[in-house]
Amino acid sequence: MPTLSRWLIRTGLGCCVAAFLLGVALAVPALRAAHPALAAAWPAYIHLLVVGWITQLIMGVAYWMFPRVQRGTSGGESAGWAAYATINLGLLCRVIGEPMVGLPAGAVSAWLLPLSAALQLTGILTFVVVIWPRVRSR
Amino acid sequence: MPRLSVWFIRAALVALAAGAAVGSLLLAAKASPAGGRLGYLVPLHAELLLIGWVVNLAFGVAYWILPKHAAGRERGHPAPAWAAFVLLNSGVAAAAFAAAAGAAPLLLAGRAAQLLALACFAAHAWSRIKPFGRGRAVRAN
Repeated sequence: MPTLSRWLIRTGLGCCVAAFLLGVALAVPALRAAHPALAAAWPAYIHLLVVGWITQLIMGVAYWMFPRVQRGTSGGESAGWAAYATINLGLLCRVIGEPMVGLPAGAVSAWLLPLSAALQLTGILTFVVVIWPRVRSR
Repeated sequence: MPRLSVWFIRAALVALAAGAAVGSLLLAAKASPAGGRLGYLVPLHAELLLIGWVVNLAFGVAYWILPKHAAGRERGHPAPAWAAFVLLNSGVAAAAFAAAAGAAPLLLAGRAAQLLALACFAAHAWSRIKPFGRGRAVRAN
């Protein structure tokens, strides 16, 4: 398994653990009442699962298993690493910034959320460009 | 990779890019006063990613890697799987548009097409869900 796939899959597992922990915290009414920011973390919980876990797992397996364009080539490895970095940095910005919306510290989210959006979109589009030529008939 | 898998997986990648673009717009707008006005795009975002991305990818990879038949066409007759591709993507397009525009009859038609796509794909894949190396000819004996 390529190094990039190992990082994608392990980070995906980390996101899954983080999402499940957040899911437990969201299910405790006393915690939600004590920390208003937690109540706003529901979309972050969903995106940790769908982007951080499921999509990243798919990316890791696709990068590993899809046929290489030319045997022995890197298969867009540096672009793949860029996709990995931007998606995870974007997700981190979201997890930090989203619960701040509407709170006194909300000014931070005014730039953190657009940054997160730009990073994640860049990462996804980069992954699509990297993997597209490898989706082909024999 | 068989040609139908290429179509399924490329459709999945298109849906991923489109769904991510809509999601980025929603997220970027969330911290601004205009954010609430884009709420009607949330169902479109969910449709593109949950059905368009995940289901297309699952069908494409399943058609490619499920065990092949020992006799006859190795993946069985492709017609039900091609029908699943056409129905699924018509259904996603219809439901995504209807969800954003609030067109209930079109949403129902899209969902019905997705259900038919699932039935077609299940009809294709059911006999291929078996241990590797075991074919129809072996099972008949």
